[in-house]
Amino acid sequence: MAPASGEDATAKIQILKDALYEEARQHGSESRLFSQADLQDLGVVPANDVMLLLKVIQALTDDKLFVACQGAALAWRWRSREEAKKYTSLNDETMMVYSVIDEAGADGIWNRTIKHRLNMHEAVVKNCIKTLETKGYIVSMKNVEHPNKKMYIKANLRPSDRATGGPWFTGGELDSAFIEELQNIVFEYIKTHSAYLGSQGGRIVAGGAGGISSSGGGALKVPKKVIRGTAPTSTTTSEAADAASRGVKRAAIEISNDVEGVTTNGVGSHHPAEAAGSKGSASAVAGSRASKNKVYLPFPAGYKLYPTVSEIAKFIHNTGITNNTTLGEADIQQLVDVLTFDGLVEPIKVNSRKGYRVVRPTKQDTVPYAKRMKEREEGIGLGLDMPLRTGAKPLSNGLTEAPCGRCPVADMCEEGGPVSPNNCVYFLQWLGLEERGSGQAQLVPPSTS
Amino acid sequence: MLVTKQLAELCSLLIDELYGELPSRIFATLVNRGRSSLPQLVQHTAMTPRQLKHGLAVLLQYNLLYYSIDPDTELAIYEANIEFAYNLIRTGKILEMVEGSFGAPAKDVMQNLLLLGQTRVSDLYQAYAKKIEQATKAVIDDDPFELETNGVNGDAHQPKKLDIPIKSMGQLNSVICRLVEAELIDVVHSRTFQTPQDIYKAVEQQVSDSHFPGGVKGGKAKIEFQEKVAEGLRKVRAESKSLKRKLDQNVSAVKRRKLLNGLGVANGVHDEDGGDPALDPKQVIRINYEKCLVDLRNRRLVQFATDMFGETTAYVYGVLLKILTKKLPRCRLDPVMDLAEDNDEVHGPGFVTMDEILDNLKTGIDLSLGLGKVEKGGVSTTAAEKVEEQPPKKKLFVEEAEVDGDASADEDDGGDDSSSSGDSESETEYKPATNGTKVTFADTATKEIRLDRPGQLRQHLLLLSESDQRFARHCGPQEWTVDFIPLVRVLAQAELDTVIERTSGRQGLRLVRILRAKGKLDEKALPNVALMRKPEVQQKMLEMQTAGFVHVQEVPRDNKADVKKSFFLWFSDVNRSFDRLLDTSYNTMLRCIQVLERLRQKEKEVLMLTKRTDVKGRERDVMRKEYFERYSRFRENEKKLFAQVMRLDDVVAVLRDF
Repeated sequence: MAPASGEDATAKIQILKDALYEEARQHGSESRLFSQADLQDLGVVPANDVMLLLKVIQALTDDKLFVACQGAALAWRWRSREEAKKYTSLNDETMMVYSVIDEAGADGIWNRTIKHRLNMHEAVVKNCIKTLETKGYIVSMKNVEHPNKKMYIKANLRPSDRATGGPWFTGGELDSAFIEELQNIVFEYIKTHSAYLGSQGGRIVAGGAGGISSSGGGALKVPKKVIRGTAPTSTTTSEAADAASRGVKRAAIEISNDVEGVTTNGVGSHHPAEAAGSKGSASAVAGSRASKNKVYLPFPAGYKLYPTVSEIAKFIHNTGITNNTTLGEADIQQLVDVLTFDGLVEPIKVNSRKGYRVVRPTKQDTVPYAKRMKEREEGIGLGLDMPLRTGAKPLSNGLTEAPCGRCPVADMCEEGGPVSPNNCVYFLQWLGLEERGSGQAQLVPPSTS
Repeated sequence: MLVTKQLAELCSLLIDELYGELPSRIFATLVNRGRSSLPQLVQHTAMTPRQLKHGLAVLLQYNLLYYSIDPDTELAIYEANIEFAYNLIRTGKILEMVEGSFGAPAKDVMQNLLLLGQTRVSDLYQAYAKKIEQATKAVIDDDPFELETNGVNGDAHQPKKLDIPIKSMGQLNSVICRLVEAELIDVVHSRTFQTPQDIYKAVEQQVSDSHFPGGVKGGKAKIEFQEKVAEGLRKVRAESKSLKRKLDQNVSAVKRRKLLNGLGVANGVHDEDGGDPALDPKQVIRINYEKCLVDLRNRRLVQFATDMFGETTAYVYGVLLKILTKKLPRCRLDPVMDLAEDNDEVHGPGFVTMDEILDNLKTGIDLSLGLGKVEKGGVSTTAAEKVEEQPPKKKLFVEEAEVDGDASADEDDGGDDSSSSGDSESETEYKPATNGTKVTFADTATKEIRLDRPGQLRQHLLLLSESDQRFARHCGPQEWTVDFIPLVRVLAQAELDTVIERTSGRQGLRLVRILRAKGKLDEKALPNVALMRKPEVQQKMLEMQTAGFVHVQEVPRDNKADVKKSFFLWFSDVNRSFDRLLDTSYNTMLRCIQVLERLRQKEKEVLMLTKRTDVKGRERDVMRKEYFERYSRFRENEKKLFAQVMRLDDVVAVLRDF
């Protein structure tokens, strides 16, 4: 190649520079790395002149339009003109700081890491950061993994999910209120879609709490025959007859009140404490509160339509509750998993479909959650003194009812010790021998009626 | 049974409560000192031999002692029977269970047996004869069996009913026979009072003397020796069933059929035919707690099913369990005795067919209740009707399952395998039938599936076997069984979860269950999975660590073992938690009784008053109002505390005995 004059060469390089930059932009995003061969193959620099190419690249790098990166070999990626302008407007030190922050990308970078990486004095780094902040090039951010570290990120970037903690975090804090609300909604969805809201079972609940219902035993023979007789040759009338008969039939619990049988009521009433205890009264309350004695019933085995995670995700998406956060299926899965761990729902696999269903359906509140919330806001309804909880009332057993099961000093309790059964205040309270603290619903003993 | 300090204390307190201080003190000494002879007891208790003999007699009467006689010195050596002592708590439960299954007369007999301890049949006859006589004379008197219980609380007198449950000697005989057949009553024999260890040793000795005079050499001989020993032990165990065997031979076919149903036999006076053989009056009978536990377990499982699905399904489950466990002598199999494969009893609970369940369901039960309705096509029949011939093999249940459950179940299925092709055929035969019914109903434009009674029953059973808890297993086309070992484990875990949820809240439960599902987990990973704030998680974990629900393991990153750099792995060891829970339960029971004792001290003067013969039975009329109020309040609290102890026993039973 003939030696050209200095001006000529500069102009040529300028042209080649623009051409190469534009060509590179055409060939990939900002994060694509171009090796020397790649740039050569773009065919901008004539005759594969490596020296010229290097010159052009050097010039671009000087203009901050190209960034040199050390991969397997030396490589470059392009940078937008606006960004390059930002760089060129800064002095050397500030520019270095800015480039470090830029490199960190959406994860952000800790100011001490900057200092460490650049080996600068703290005051200088501070100064630079201040300059950059006032120019609006960078902003400070919070990382959920290291909430105490002061981190910086480029102003035009959104912090990555790793830094913000995903959809469950707001402003670096776990948004438990949001999670709880969403959990309730998901639970409500699963509850209403995995159990059958029937009215017939309502009598079971009522019977369990209140005792024997009024229908007599004599009436049941006739309707039974109707069912038996018509079942094989079912006609439309059989349905009507069946429905009618169901009204007169005895609820299961009623029969279990009879002498015979290892039935549930017998177990319950065996312990006077339990029969009239918290559980019984709870179901009574639930029964009376629930509209028309409705109750959730389990679906028969092999039910195919238990809601899956993707259905729940779709539902959440369609309701548009989460308008400023997008929740993926993985997020919903996380939520459902938590509900599973809470013992509120359980996974159930029917064929290859993995759905979820509510546990202990018959014990669930049949009033929709939204209505409950509204009631609370208006201050009506029962149980306002207790926090609204998702799902059924937890089970209880002898240990959790007795004071010892919840005693904070149970380990120290010993006869003759400072804490002993002889001076136990919790027991007295529990037995109702001391008035104070009787307002605590939990400590009221099950009465023995 | 592992005897902890709490358990030992609890048992002696129970004996104190029921039989007085003297037996209680002897019992406590025996528990603390191990087996002792009379002179040793004299030394330890500082009581006179005369007093001791009285106390020992009482303890022996109620089966609370083992003894053996040293052949050289001819000295009796006594040992405490902790299991029977603990079973005293279950008295009420057992009575209630018997009343539920066999009616009031059987309960009355059981109650007397419990009050009297082991009894000769003739004594029981005599006592009842007297009682019947008295009742016929309409003399209202104290129950002749009312034992003078321990002082202050011996005030359990109620105005006696005019009509007594047992109305004739024939009825009494028949009731006893029923109970013997149900194995709830068994026979006291010469070896009843030997400790299991003694019996084991004796049998071992006998086997090695008679079969292996040259000593046991080689692996094969060892196995053979084990089998011989197990056989010998089983023979000893079977001795207590001698009465039942005799009855079985005598019982007519009609009786047998009635027994099979287990219903309505002894419900009233209607059934007094002389079909029952007269019992040997010299036979000594007592209550068989092992079998009682089986029935109590059934009740507990039914209750569990009620919590999960509702009453109707649980009722069906109860019937299934009842039929299934009819022949089951005990909840937990003995590792030595029941290991051998040629043992008839080992073969697990077997199975129950649909027809058997259907035959035993009360006709008044509406099986259409308790299940949701599904539109046609909403149910996958193939998934629901899945037949599992083998019990699920999960690593979770390694210890127990390997000991007994698996072996027996394999045994069962071995027979089935040969006919498995036949099974599948009959299954396919069955399926079109269901589909067929569905189609007919579809024609009538009914949207829901209508089922006949067997179909409804089937639905309940399928629901039970589909559940996560594995209440039942669909082991053949029309056959159902229950894998008790894993199920009881699930139940125990549910109890544990209940305690965790009630003490550490739902979030605590969440964390524990996460650990259970994922194994060991780093402290940093927990908050993300649980969707909880880090400080909250840490606080909860510490709280639960002290409660014994979770455990932590420190793993150093390098040799220096710098605490700051170490990993902290949380995990939840369910077995450890169970042990802890059991201990807490004993402790709580103990405290309940101790608090009761304290209340008694407090109300001493009132209680002294009620012991006076002129006051007894007429408290309301005789006592001053203020005193009577204090008295009735005390009675109320006493009732509450005892009820609580019984409730706690539910937890203990699930964790230890079922």
